[in-house]
This record gives sequence, structure tokens and C-alpha cells, in this order.
Amino acid sequence: MTARRVVVTGMGLVTPLGSGLERNWERMLAGASGVRPISRLDVSTMEVRIAGEIVPLPEVPEDAHVRELGIHSRFALVAGREAWADAGLGPGGGADPDRVGVFLGSGKGIVEVDRLTEAVKAAARAGGAGALDKNAFLLRALETTDPYRRHEEGYERSGIHLAAALGARGPFWVCITACAAGNHALGEAFCAIRRGDAEVVVAGGTHSQIDLMSLAGYATLGALSTRNDEPARASRPFDRLRNGFILGEGAGVLVLEEFEHARRRGARIRAEVVGYGNTADCYRVTDPHPDGRPAEAAMRRALASAGIAPSAIGYINAHGTSTAQNDTMETAAIKRIFGPRGEAPPVSSTKSMVGHLIAAAGAVEAVACVRALEEGVLPPTINYENEDPMCDLDYVPNEARERRIDFAMNNSFGFGGQNIVTVFRRFAGA
Amino acid sequence: MRRRIVVTGFGAVAPNGLDAEAFWAACIAGRSGIERIASFDASGFPVQIAGEVRGFRAEDYVPNRKSLKIMGRNIRFGVAAAQMAMVQSGLKESAPDPERFGIVMGSGIVPTDVEEIGPAVAGSLDAQGNFDVRRFGESGQKLLFPLWLLKHLPNMVAAHVSIIHDARGCNNTIVTACSASTQAIGEAARILERGDADVMLAGGSDSRIDPLSLVAYHLLGAVSRSTRPPAEVSRPFERDRDGFVLGEGAAVLVLETEEHAKARGATIYAEVAGYGSSFDAFAVTKPEPDGRGAIRSMREALADARIPADAIDYVSAHGTSTLLNDRAETAATRAILGARARKVPVSSIKSMIGHLIGAAGAMEALVSVLAIRDGVVPPTINMDHPDPECDLDYVPNRAREMKVRKVLSNSFGFGGQNASLVLSEYPG
Repeated sequence: MTARRVVVTGMGLVTPLGSGLERNWERMLAGASGVRPISRLDVSTMEVRIAGEIVPLPEVPEDAHVRELGIHSRFALVAGREAWADAGLGPGGGADPDRVGVFLGSGKGIVEVDRLTEAVKAAARAGGAGALDKNAFLLRALETTDPYRRHEEGYERSGIHLAAALGARGPFWVCITACAAGNHALGEAFCAIRRGDAEVVVAGGTHSQIDLMSLAGYATLGALSTRNDEPARASRPFDRLRNGFILGEGAGVLVLEEFEHARRRGARIRAEVVGYGNTADCYRVTDPHPDGRPAEAAMRRALASAGIAPSAIGYINAHGTSTAQNDTMETAAIKRIFGPRGEAPPVSSTKSMVGHLIAAAGAVEAVACVRALEEGVLPPTINYENEDPMCDLDYVPNEARERRIDFAMNNSFGFGGQNIVTVFRRFAGA
Repeated sequence: MRRRIVVTGFGAVAPNGLDAEAFWAACIAGRSGIERIASFDASGFPVQIAGEVRGFRAEDYVPNRKSLKIMGRNIRFGVAAAQMAMVQSGLKESAPDPERFGIVMGSGIVPTDVEEIGPAVAGSLDAQGNFDVRRFGESGQKLLFPLWLLKHLPNMVAAHVSIIHDARGCNNTIVTACSASTQAIGEAARILERGDADVMLAGGSDSRIDPLSLVAYHLLGAVSRSTRPPAEVSRPFERDRDGFVLGEGAAVLVLETEEHAKARGATIYAEVAGYGSSFDAFAVTKPEPDGRGAIRSMREALADARIPADAIDYVSAHGTSTLLNDRAETAATRAILGARARKVPVSSIKSMIGHLIGAAGAMEALVSVLAIRDGVVPPTINMDHPDPECDLDYVPNRAREMKVRKVLSNSFGFGGQNASLVLSEYPG
């Protein structure tokens, strides 16, 4: 029995650059930035006041069963429906719903701290002297909580709404491996289709953390850029003057499909998924492994799984977060496998334009890889102005570049130490 | 030939036992771990009971005391269960190749604790007592525990466990609520089967017994508000059930390829023979009444194990003690078992520990393994009056000694996500 092959037949995006696959791709090739002053919240007193915020939020048809979809569910529905339609899998599309799965990497909905005000006040009154009385909190929360809204904050809700909207009844899961989750869902979907667990898996990631608690939490960890006065120039992966990442939000969803299944129904095949590697850092929960060995191991595993030599890779979409630690570590890891500048393929970070979409990041970047394979053009790393001696590869600085490539590699390294790498191949017929 | 995946160790922290054997002994004795909530004062609230873990000492299991600071209860339970599983499997003495050793955990949303967030909210109020975003930036946020984010990321359970045991292979965290840890075990088995690892730790940990979660589950009408004695409230498949009881804890299994386990002379307790998952695509807040989605997940797992439903000796039920679940699940299980439906024991340990959400499936898979090992199935306690629509053999109130060769362990999530495992005696 020959191994089942897995192809990409549909894609959808909603990112700070806009809604829709083609709009995003055009703006990426133009080197546009979606980073701007945060408008959803009054952040005038916060340390970080910029993000890749989606304005206005895309409209989605409301589900009859819920009053308030979480923002992660909204993004997943918008990008997921676009991918589904792009794959030609709408009504009469020809896939058996029992053989269609949904795998998502997902964040949760926004925790709105201000909604806890009444309960906290009650707890403070009853506690006295700076103490908080949990019983008073509980009883007041009973009167002030919107349970449906809280329920919709769950990580799994994005996948549930998407699978329900598409009528997908096959294998289903939602994972959260932080910044690697979207790419992780693609890698596991690839394995599930190859194994025969499904013919089609709608896979990707969705997330938003543009909220008070996340902004405060990441800022305390020193992870975010504070270049508040120059939003469009703040995300600068691999540039010597980078000073942290920029939170973005949105979703990327891809329709992965067994090759013969796609061919039988006459689907347009955008690219093939050929490799997947997954490793853990085992270092610290707060920092990537400084020598990049675990990230390197994930890339080597993905290459081995694809059965190709490093020299076959024509483009790497980097994790490239714009933090001191990641970009140095990632560069070192790439060089150990692919050689120095001149030997290693071009590497770019689309996070320079959209920011870091956390659980959605890897899926958005996979879409960029697929478009690069299809079009023979590589998206740039914008804001690349100052060479860092520790980051000395070809980062496709500032301008898109025409280059026909056969294989693209997509790197995602999660906060907590999960490293996920996928490899895509240009589809040139069977 | 497909690789066979075996279970060579396990650990657990449960409301009715602080390790796997204590938990198992309690389940066989029909002993409930559900009591009045002790971790905070719930008086005056309609729900005052839960399956809390009592007497647990995280310090006994966490090698680096400093890291306790960034470990919430869910992480502590998971780390402890993993530690116990590693010791029991013998892998502490003969460590696996780190590059071929991975982790998949079921986990979930980590509750926002009032003690953590309260001061920040209180410090953000204006003169009229309204939340002022600007004050949050100026003063409120400074009252947050600086590393709070690290306690609130569900993937941190697997991250901590990987660091402690140097598991540098595949690492994943599944967050599908009630079915998460059944899926974690299934996904880990897939990783081993395809040759991406030799050894995997797989299971789940969860802890949501906190005021805000309790309020939300209560207002959704999901948890019982019964005023019976606490141990009698969780009554899956029983006529007078009126909702589930929240529980907390963790269970972790050591899974290995048969080849790896044999090569190191490991004790093999059972085999993970099949896994399937499905989605209802019916309604996003309740199961299909006829259980079609659940039927598909059970069928997938049986097909994956290449056995007929007739081979199943015992079903470890999802059995939440909610009307909707228990009836849909009964219909689905009846459809799968066919003519043998009333002869195959089907029990729910949620009657004794409550619903552990992200850890529930792993507890039930563990019970399945131990039922195979010891030849006894745990009871569904509080079965006084069977629901007329729930007409299976739920092993009422008393454990039953019997030869157990093959078990179907089910999780059916609130939202339509279903997962099933087939666990088999080894050699089967």
C-alpha cells in the first residue's frame, strides 16, 4: 500500500492586515504593517499601547445557541468558512461529513476583568482591612456573572463552533501549545489523514490576547515591544534594535485533504504537506533553550519526515518573534542545519507585519508558505534595518522577492518549550 | 505490522485517594470523595459540594520547590501524577532516550482566582467604585502576581512535566474540556504507533473548584443543587439525578511501544488497542438525544482495535449524572452493544469522584486498566432507582469481580466532542 498523501485545498485568513486570503497576501507582499495603537481599550496608562488589532472586528453569522461568541470563535468561523469555500466544500462539495475532522490550535476568549468589579467590591467590603472574602465574592458573582459568556471563553469553543458550522462530524480536537498551536494542529492533521482517520481535516489556529490581563502579563515578563510611538516599525524580527514581540490577533485555517480524495472531486490543489516535527525544550517554562538544539531537532525531524535534504528547502517562514532570545536562537539553529548565509535558504518572518498571533501564528505562517510555493514569491521581513551580528542570514529584508521554490519550511516555537515544524511542497501535478 | 501500544505505569491524584492504588481501592469499595467544599466558604450558595483533593502535598512531588510558585493546583496534580507514574513504571531507574520520550496532557481553562485578581480589580476602582481602565494601568496591574500568566497557560502542565523528566520528544496539550484526556491518551498512542516516540506520558489534570467556575456551571444548570448528603449527590443513570458534581485531580499513564517495554522488561498492565473521536455537529450546548456522535466515536475506536462490539466486557462510562448525557449515552451504548446491551457492565466512577473535566477521561482510562489487571469492575454508586430510560447494567452500588479482557472507555463532551478508547488485556 502506498502512503496516503496530504494536500492543501483551501485557505482562509483574518489578521491585522484584513479579512480574506488574497487581501492578506497582497498586503504581505507589499510589506504592509497591521500594527497600530490599540483602540479597543483605553491603554493610555499601560506600558504597551500597540498591537496588531483587527479593526473593525469581522462580522459572523451568530449561532442560534449562544448569545455571545468568544473572539477566538469569531475569528475561527470567519477564516474557517473562507477556507471551506475556497476548497469548494460548500453544499454539495462532495465530502462525507463523518470523514471530515476539525483540529484547531486555540486560545481562549477574553477574560474581562472589569466584569468582576461588583464581586470584588463585595469581597473587599466583607473582608475588611485589605482582605477579600471569598464567600461574599461567590454570592455577588452569582448575581453578576453572565454564564454563557463565561462558558464561551473555553479554549474548545472555537473548534466546536467551527465544526458545527461546517457540519464536520469526524475526528475533532483543540490543542493549546502556546505559540506553536496552529502549526501543531496542521502537523497532527497531516498525520491523521495519512493514517486514514479522515479524508479532510480543517486545521489551523485562532487567538486574541489583546486584553488587559494579557498585556499586563506579557509586559511583566518583558516579552513585548514598547515602541509605542512607531507601531508599524515595532515588530522587527532579526533586526538589531528589536525589543520584544507585538501581540496580534486573528485566525488562519487550512483545509487539508487526502490527495486522491481531492483529485476525485476535482479540487484545486494549492500545495502538498510533506513533513512534520515536534520536540520539547526541557529548559525553562519562561525562555526558549538558548542554544536552539531542541528547535533544531524539530526542523531535522520535519526534514526526515519529508524525506528531503536540507538543501531542498527554498524558503523558511521563521518563528521570528522579534525578541532578542528567539531570533538569535532560531538563527543559530537554522545555520547548524542549512549552513551560513549564502548556503541557507531565505528566511522571513511575517510577524514583522501582523505581529504575533500566538496560537494562530503558525497557521497564518503556513498560509504564507503555501502562497509562496504557489506564486514563486517570498514575503519580506519588514523593518529590517540594522544587522545583528548574531542574526546573519538572508531575512528577505523589506521587499518581497520572486523566487521559485519547491519546498517551504514553517517554524513555530511555543512559550513553554514546544517546537513544531511543518514542511510544504509545491504541487506540480501527481 | 502495526506497532502495539502498552500501558506500563500509572499515577493519580483523586478526590477519594492520593495515589492510583488508594483511588482504585476507594472506587472498588464504593467510597465517594465528594464532600462539602473546604477550600473556600460556599455557605449560602446553591452548590456547596465538590470532589476536592484533600491532604495533598505538592512538595512531595515537585523536585524544585521554587517552581511551586508558578504552579497552580492543576499543574501540581499533573506533576504529581506524572511523577508517580514514572516511579511505578521503572523509568526513573532506566530513563528512556529523551529524544524519543514525549507527553500529551489533557488540560483546560485555569480559573481566575479571586485572591489573585481581586487586589488588581480593587486597585483599579475610581471614586465612584467603577472599574477604571486607566487606573488598572497605573496601579491595579501592579497588584497582580508578576508571573500570573505562567499559572494560567494550560500547556504548562506538560511543559513542567517535560522539564522534570527530560522528555524532549513530542509535546502536546489537548483542551477539549470533558473529552480532553481521553483524547490525550489516544493521541499519545498514535504518536507511538507511527514511530515518533518510544515512551509517552499521557493523561489529564484539572482543577476548577473555585467561586467563578462554580457560579458559571451553576448558572448553566449543569451542576447539581441537591441538598442530599454530599456523597449521595452524584448519581449517574439514576432516576433522581439532577446534574454533575465538580471534581479535581489528575491521572497519567505511561504508554510505550510493546517492543520498548519488552526490551526493558517492563510490567505490562494493558494494551491501548483502539481510539476514535467524533463530533456531534448537532447543537453546541447539548448532546444528540440519540447519541449518534457518541456511537460514531465508539465505532471508530472498535474498528481501530479491529474487534467487534461483542468482544467488549466492560464499558467505563462518561456518566455525568445529567439527564441529557445519561440518556443519550445509554441510547448510544445500547446501540453499540446490541443484543448484549443488558449483559455488559457499564459503570461511572463520576458517582464517586465527580466530574474532573479535563482529567475525567484519564481517570476512567486508569480504572479500565486496573479493572483488567485485577479482574474487578467498579460500581456506579447511589443507584437506588434506575431511570426507566436508562436500562443497562450499571454495576449498581457494589464492585463486581469478573474477568475483564476488553474495555471501552468513553468521554462525551458538553459541546459535542466525543472520544473513545479500547483498552485490552495483554497479551490479548
